[in-house]
Amino acid sequence: MTKQPAIELKNITKRFGKVVANKNVNLTAYRGEILSVLGENGSGKTTLMNMISGIYFPDEGHIFIDGKEAVITSPKEAFGYKIGMIHQHFKLVDVFSAAENIVLGIENGKYNLKDSAKEIKKISEQYGFDVDPKKKIYTMSVSEKQTVEIIKVLYRGADILILDEPTAVLTPQETEKLFAILRRMRDDGKCIIIITHKLHEVLSLSDRVSVLRKGEYIGTVNTSETSESELTEMMVGKKIDLNIQRDEPKNTEERLTVNSITCVDKTGTVMLDNVSFSVKSGEILGIAGIAGSGQRELLESIAGLQRLEYGDIFYFDPKTGKKESLRDKNPLQIRQMGVRLSFVPEDRLGMGLVGNMDIVDNMMLRSYSKGHSLFLKRNKPKSLAMKIINDLEVVTPSASTPVRRLSGGNVQKVLVGREISSSPTVLMVAYPVRGLDINSSYMIYNLLNQQKAQGVAIIFVGEDLDVLVELCDRIMVIGSGRVTGVVDARTTTKEEIGLLMTKPKDDGKENGNG
Amino acid sequence: MAKKTDSKKEPLFHVVKRDDMPAGKAWLIRIAAIVFSFLLVGLLSMAITEKSFGETYEIMFSGVFGRLFEGKTTMLWKYLQEIAILLCLALALTPAFKMKFWNCGAEGQALVGGLASIFCMIQFGSSLSYPVLMVVIVVTSILAGAIWGIIPAVFKALFNTNETLFTLMMNYIATQIIAYYVYIEGGGSNVINPVAYGNFPTVGNNDYFVNIVTVAGITVLMYAYLRFSKQGYEISVVGESQNTARYVGINVKKVIIRTMAISGGLCGVAGMLLVAGKDHSINTNLVGGDGFTAILMSWLGQFNPFIMVVMTAIVIFLRLGVAKVADTALLNHSFSEIIVGIVILILVGCEFFIHYSIKFRQSKKEVKA
Amino acid sequence: MKNLKKILALVLALVAVMTTFAACGGGETPAPEASDLKVGFIFLHDEQSTYDKNFMDAAKAACEEMGVEYAQKTQIPESKDCYDAAVELIEVDGCDIIFADSFGHESFLIDAAKKYPEVQFCHATGTQAHTAGVANFHNAFASIYQGRFLAGVAAGLKLNEMIEAGKITADQAKMGYVGAFTFAEVMSGYTSFYLGAKYVCPSVTMDVKFTGSWYDEKLEKEAAQSLIAGGCVLISQHADSMGAPTACETAGVPNVSYNGSTVAACPNTFIVSSRIDWTPYFKYMIQCVMDGKAIDTDWTGTIESGSVVLTDINEKVAAAGTAAKIEEVKAKLLDGSLNVFDTATFTVGGKAVTSYLADVDTDADFTKDTEAVEGGIFYESKHRSAPYFDMEIDGITLLDRNYG
Repeated sequence: MTKQPAIELKNITKRFGKVVANKNVNLTAYRGEILSVLGENGSGKTTLMNMISGIYFPDEGHIFIDGKEAVITSPKEAFGYKIGMIHQHFKLVDVFSAAENIVLGIENGKYNLKDSAKEIKKISEQYGFDVDPKKKIYTMSVSEKQTVEIIKVLYRGADILILDEPTAVLTPQETEKLFAILRRMRDDGKCIIIITHKLHEVLSLSDRVSVLRKGEYIGTVNTSETSESELTEMMVGKKIDLNIQRDEPKNTEERLTVNSITCVDKTGTVMLDNVSFSVKSGEILGIAGIAGSGQRELLESIAGLQRLEYGDIFYFDPKTGKKESLRDKNPLQIRQMGVRLSFVPEDRLGMGLVGNMDIVDNMMLRSYSKGHSLFLKRNKPKSLAMKIINDLEVVTPSASTPVRRLSGGNVQKVLVGREISSSPTVLMVAYPVRGLDINSSYMIYNLLNQQKAQGVAIIFVGEDLDVLVELCDRIMVIGSGRVTGVVDARTTTKEEIGLLMTKPKDDGKENGNG
Repeated sequence: MAKKTDSKKEPLFHVVKRDDMPAGKAWLIRIAAIVFSFLLVGLLSMAITEKSFGETYEIMFSGVFGRLFEGKTTMLWKYLQEIAILLCLALALTPAFKMKFWNCGAEGQALVGGLASIFCMIQFGSSLSYPVLMVVIVVTSILAGAIWGIIPAVFKALFNTNETLFTLMMNYIATQIIAYYVYIEGGGSNVINPVAYGNFPTVGNNDYFVNIVTVAGITVLMYAYLRFSKQGYEISVVGESQNTARYVGINVKKVIIRTMAISGGLCGVAGMLLVAGKDHSINTNLVGGDGFTAILMSWLGQFNPFIMVVMTAIVIFLRLGVAKVADTALLNHSFSEIIVGIVILILVGCEFFIHYSIKFRQSKKEVKA
Repeated sequence: MKNLKKILALVLALVAVMTTFAACGGGETPAPEASDLKVGFIFLHDEQSTYDKNFMDAAKAACEEMGVEYAQKTQIPESKDCYDAAVELIEVDGCDIIFADSFGHESFLIDAAKKYPEVQFCHATGTQAHTAGVANFHNAFASIYQGRFLAGVAAGLKLNEMIEAGKITADQAKMGYVGAFTFAEVMSGYTSFYLGAKYVCPSVTMDVKFTGSWYDEKLEKEAAQSLIAGGCVLISQHADSMGAPTACETAGVPNVSYNGSTVAACPNTFIVSSRIDWTPYFKYMIQCVMDGKAIDTDWTGTIESGSVVLTDINEKVAAAGTAAKIEEVKAKLLDGSLNVFDTATFTVGGKAVTSYLADVDTDADFTKDTEAVEGGIFYESKHRSAPYFDMEIDGITLLDRNYG
C-alpha cells in the first residue's frame, strides 16, 4: 500500500483569549488508514479537528490537503476539500426523515428525494449501514442517528472523515459494528481520523495514534508497536496506574429501597416503569444504560425532584433503624427528616451549582436556610470552601471566583466536595467523571471509595462500561425506563451489560423485535 | 479545487466573544463610554444650538443645579428628588430582574401605589389624625403596588404566563383606573386639585427631603437584602437556574410571588412618594415613563443599588440639563429625549465591547467562538 | 491596539474633565441685570400641539414687541413639576412674570405664587384667581364665545345658501360638532356657535359628539365621519387636531374650524375659523408690570381688545356676503345691541330661561353658586374669565358625553 498523505497540519496554533488550545501541532493522516487522535479531556483534540472542518480558523500554521495548501474558513469550504466531520452532538433535524437530513443544505443539487434515496441505498450497501431513509430522526436510537450523520458526510463525497468521540454513546455491540464499517471505509481508501480518549479502542481500531497533551503535539506511534501504558504516559506525561481500587463491601445493611416506582414526564411518556432495587451501605451500585433510559429520572425520584405515579422509596435510618418513606417529599423536607442524602447531578452548573456564584456561595446552597436569622452566615461556607480547595486541589484564583470560570474537573471537585461534606449516608452521582482529565477522574473514584469505606450507600450512574465494571460492586442495567438486569460487577463482562442495555421488553406480549 | 489566499477570504473584521474581562477594565470601558457620551451631548447641543461647548454645559449645569454657587439649593433638591424617584423604581425592579422575572410593570405598580395614597388623602384626610393617616397611606400604597405585582407573579408561577406582556398590560389597566378616578374626583375639570391632607412634612423649607431620605434608606436596605439576606440568596438561585433551586428544595413559586410582592410594593412606595411627597394630586402621567427608564437603570447598574445611584444621577443630569438647553434655545423637547436616548444607547452599547471584541483582518479569524 | 484604546479613553476623560470645569466656572458669572424684565412661560406640550403653539406664537410676538426677554419650559405636566418649573424660571432664569397655559397647572402655580409674592403669576383658562386670595395670581381668558358666534353666523349663511340652492330642505339644516369634553368651556363654545348659526338660519339644529381628549386625531376624525353619516351637512369642532377638518375635506362637507386656518389642508371645505390671540393679554400683563400697576384678577379678552379673532374667510366655500354680514354682527356685538347668550334666543327643555345659577367658584362639590342671568342675558365671562355656561339648550342634541 503506497502511503499518500491526505491531510497535513503544520505548526498549527490556536488561542482562545489567554488559553492556548493548540500549540505548534504537526499531524499527518494518510489515505487508507485510521488515525486516532488521543488525548485527555481538554487536550485540544476537538479544537484541532474543528480547524480542519472549518469551524475555527488557526491563528498560526498551515493545512495541506493532498499536498496543496488549503484555507478552510467554513464547514462548507471543508466539504469542498472533501472533509466531513461527525460531531459528538448530532446536528440533525428531529422531525425530518433520514433522507431529508442527508440532503439538507446541499445547494447545487436538485432536491429529489427519490434519487437521493437511491444514492443513500448505494452508500449503505457499500459499507454495510443499516438505515431506513424514510425513518424520522426522533424515532431513532442514538446509534441510528450516528449512522445518519456518517451517511450525510459520505453523501457529500467526503473522503476524509473525522469522528469526534463516536463511541461515547454506543453499546459495546454497536461500537463493534461501527468499527467494522470504519475498517471497510479505510479499505476503500478513505482517510479516517477518530478522536478518542479510550485506549483499548485506539489499540483495536487504528493504524497509528497521534497523542496530544495540554494542546501540544507529543508524537505519533504505530498501534502495532505500542501498549496501553506507553500511550497513557504520552497522554498524561507520567506513568500512572490505571487500575481502579475496589474493596469488598463491609458492614452492609439495607439503606435505600426503591419499590416499583413509575414516573411520567410532562408529555405523558413513561420515563420509569415499575423500577425496583435496593442499595446497601458500604457498596457502590452502578447503573448502566443507553443515555436517556431513565437514569436522570431515577436519581431525581430519589432526591425528591420527580413526582412518582406509583411506587415508593424507603430509607432505613442507620441510627434509629426506622424505615421512612421519601415519597412526595421535596429535597428540603427530605433533609429535614434527617435523611443525609447527597446528590451529584449530571448537569453540574445547571443543577448542582450556580455558575455565576462564587465557590463560597455555592457551598451554602444546601445549608443556607438553616437557623432563624433573616441573614446569611458566610463563615462556615467560607471555611468549607477553603477546605475543599485545599483537600481536593481545586485550581482557582480564589474562593470568590464564580464557579463557571473553573475548568470542568475543578467544578466537579467543588460539587462532589460539597456533597460529601455533609457526611451523607446515601450518595448519588451521575456521570461524575464526564469531561474530566484522568487525574481528576481518579480523584473522584478515590473519593467514592473512601465514602464506600465509611459505609455510605453509593449509586453511581456511569457511561463508561470499563469504569463501571472496575469500580462498582453490583451493576443494575436499565433500558427504556425499566430494569433489564442486575449483575455482579466482579464477574460480568461489558458485552453482557451491552446486551442488557438493548434488551427488548420481555413481558411476554412483545417478543424481541426491538 | 482552487487555491485561495488568506487576505481575499477573510472579512474586514469579525466579532468574537471575549472571555471574562477583568472588572477593572470593564469599568474603564464604562467610564470611557460615559465620558464619550457627555462629550457627544455637548457636541450635538453645540451643533444644534450654535452655542459653544462651555456655554452648553453652563446651561446644562444651570438647568440641573440652578444657582447653586449663589447658595440657592432649590434646584439641587429638585435634581435629587428626580433621582430619588427613578432610583426607587430601579431598586424596585432589581430583585425581580435578578430572579429573571422581567417586570415591565413598574409604571402601573407605581400608579396604583399613588392611587392608594391619593384615595387615603381624600377619603380619610379630614377624619384621621396626621400620624395615623400617614401610616394608612404608607401601608395601603405598598399593598396596592404589591398586589399589582403579585397578580402577574401568580399567573407566572401557576400557569407560566409571559410576565413581560402581563405586567405591560397591567400598566394600561392602572392608567385607565386612574383616568376614571380623576373623572370621579375631579368632576368636570378633569383635574384633582392638590389635597392638603396627608402630605409629607416639609423639612427645613424643603419639600422633597423626606422623599430623598426614604429612597436613600431603601438603597442601603436593598443592597443588604440582595447581598446578605437568605431571601436575596434565594432570588439569585432562582434567577440563575430554577433547576438548581428545585435541587436544593427552594419553593420557586413562593419565591417568585414573594419577590414580585416586594418589587411591586416598592413601586407602590415610588407612587406614594410622588403623590404624598410631591404632587398631592394624581393624573395618569404621574410616573411619566420613569417606570420604563428604570428598567434600563437597573440593568446599567448591574443590579447593584449603589451603581444605580450613579447611573440615575447621570441620566437625570442629562435629562434636566438638556431640557434646559432645549428650552433656552426654544427647541422642541424631543431634543432632550433624543439626547438621553442616545446616551443610554451608548451606555448599553458599551456592554457589547465588554462582552465581545472586534478582530480586524490582520489578526487571524475565528468563525465561531 | 489595547494601549491605543486606553490612551484614547484617557484623552477623552481629560477633555471632559476640563470642559466640565470650564462649565462650572461659567456657572458663577453673574446673571443679567435684575432691572431687565423677563417673562417665563410654562407650556403643557410643545409646538406640536396647536393649543400650545397658539400660546407660543403669541408669547414670541408680544415679548418681541415689548422688547423684553423671555424664557420657556415646555412639556410641563399638570403636577408639582409645574411648581418646580416656575421656581426654576424665577430662580435660575430670573423671570418677573410667570405664565402657564394649561388648566391643570393652576393649583401648582398658586402654590408658587404664594412662595414668590414679588413675582406676578398669570394663568390661562383657570378659575381660582377670584377666590384664591393670592394677590399676585391672575386668571385670563377671552370671550371666545363671541368669536364662535361670528363663526356660527358664517355657518348659518352657508346653510341658507344650501337651502336656497335646494340641496337640503330647511329641516335638514343640521350641523355636527366634535367636542373634547362635556365641560363648560366646550359647552359654552358649541352653544355660542349654534346660536350664531341660528341667528341667520332659524331652522338649524346640531348634533354633538365628544372624544374625551383634547388631541386625538383618529377619534376626532371618526367622530366627524359619524356625524356626517348621521346627516350633518356642516361640521365644526373644539379639539386640537386636524382630524375633523380632514374628515370634512374627504367627505366634501363644509367645516368651520378652531384655533387657526386649515385652508391649506382643506381648500374645498374650510369656511372660517375663530381663535384666541393671546398677544394682547401678554402685552397687557407685561405693561402692567412695567408700570407697576396691578394685573386684573380675571382678565377677559374680547373682540375689541383683539383677543378674539377670525381668520380670513375662504371665499371659495363661504356663502356670498359672509364677510359683510360678519362685520355687521360684530358691530352689534361691540355696541352691545346684540348679546350671544340672550335668553330670548334659546330655550331649555322648551322653557325660557330667566335665572341660572352657574358654578363659578371652584370647590370640591361643584356647587352652583352665582346667578349669571341678568335682565334676560346670560353674562358669560363676567364673574370670572373662564367660561361657565353649561346649559343644554333645545336644538342641540348631545349624542354622547365624555367627562374624561
